[in-house]
Amino acid sequence: MLAVELNGDAVRAKNGSMVAYDGRMGFKRLTGGGEGLRGMVTRRVTGEHMTVMEVKGQGTCYFADRASNINLVRLGGEKLYVEASNLLCTEEGLRTGTTFTGLRGAAEGNGLFTTTVHGTGWAALMSDGPAVILRVAPGLPLTVDPGAYVAHTGELKQQFVSGVTWRTAIGEGSGEGVQLRFEGSGTVYVQPSERTTLGGQL
Amino acid sequence: MTVDVLDPATLPVDDNVNPYVFCVDLNGEWFLQKGKMIAYYGDIRFDGLGHGPLDGLVAASFHSPLHAGHWVVAQGRGKLLLADRAYDVNSFDLEDGNLNIRSGNLLAFQPGLALKQSIIPGFLTLIGTGKFVAASNGPVHFVEPPIRVDPQALVGWADTPSPCHHYDHHYLRGFLGGVRALTGIGGASGEEHQFEFTGSGTVLMQSSEALMPEEAVGAVGVAGEQGRGVPGAGVPQQAGGQPGQEGLGGLLGGILGGR
Repeated sequence: MLAVELNGDAVRAKNGSMVAYDGRMGFKRLTGGGEGLRGMVTRRVTGEHMTVMEVKGQGTCYFADRASNINLVRLGGEKLYVEASNLLCTEEGLRTGTTFTGLRGAAEGNGLFTTTVHGTGWAALMSDGPAVILRVAPGLPLTVDPGAYVAHTGELKQQFVSGVTWRTAIGEGSGEGVQLRFEGSGTVYVQPSERTTLGGQL
Repeated sequence: MTVDVLDPATLPVDDNVNPYVFCVDLNGEWFLQKGKMIAYYGDIRFDGLGHGPLDGLVAASFHSPLHAGHWVVAQGRGKLLLADRAYDVNSFDLEDGNLNIRSGNLLAFQPGLALKQSIIPGFLTLIGTGKFVAASNGPVHFVEPPIRVDPQALVGWADTPSPCHHYDHHYLRGFLGGVRALTGIGGASGEEHQFEFTGSGTVLMQSSEALMPEEAVGAVGVAGEQGRGVPGAGVPQQAGGQPGQEGLGGLLGGILGGR
């Protein structure tokens, strides 16, 4: 559960994620993820749906979604890449957008696009179990199971590693046939559980 | 909540990162159950057990053809993170010992251990010296025999004689018991069936009765919620009867009914 103290300012949260509040609060659904007409069209086209509400008022507001773990990320101008389904709440100062991820999204079963958050402020991510934050530095590449990937920040290059061979076809796959390799410098958020993914069975 | 950013230098060596993630400092080989790797640093390969160069290793440490399709060998050098459905993960050291564990709960083990199939369906036996990693729904509790445990809460047992089924006599005593035994209709508390451990050793239990979904590997026709995860519970039954109780109930019920 996430508690947000509001003092006349606003936060954006996943629609319907408010569980309790005290003080005076106003809830307003933002069409198109609060990204204007262009964002609305982009989201409709890319299938990266995100229904967002704006919460404004005085007091404390509590957010939660299906008892999943919440991880707070402090952004200082950099860009956070996260799946729309894993994003719970962002501060007013953060802008959200959509970006192309290519094959990675397809292997996660989340579509070809992902959500970006950039600006300065706090963002709240959801994960199944507390996320482990792993650093990627030059010369220290990290490989992640697509089903456990939650989000990443920094200048990272993603690359698909495929261990799918003829053995997979005869049912002798390694179960880790599709992996994501991150190179560059930044951090990656990984959850201790795996979503069912397209590549997960290989 | 941790905000620590971890890298290969700060990740623990063969220890838990948090209650749900275990870090293996890989230098050589480990056996893993498929799909439990969430991330790794370094140079690691994952190969199915049928992979040629691994024949010697597999011959030495893997003796369960029923489970061969679910296991892989990770080999190389680096830090390997393991997790399973956000369940609690623990590692245990075995020193020239033997341990039986529910097959769905075992995540990984060192090749110093030999994996065998327990003669109790649905369980695996590890023999030898080495480290293994197991998952449980809620923290693991260690208890000492003599003890009777709920079948669904049992994770494994070490260095004890194998358990036996224990049925409380209550459910076939008195008039209601007779009706229940004859017809299979009637209330039951759901706790009349336990596993009984005697002798010395350790029994591992989880603090929940939720079981991991597991493959039906050599289990005798398990049926219904009552029979879930209970080896040998699904004895041949008549229609409408309660699984697990029908066989014994029918036998003893016949004696009681003819009295």
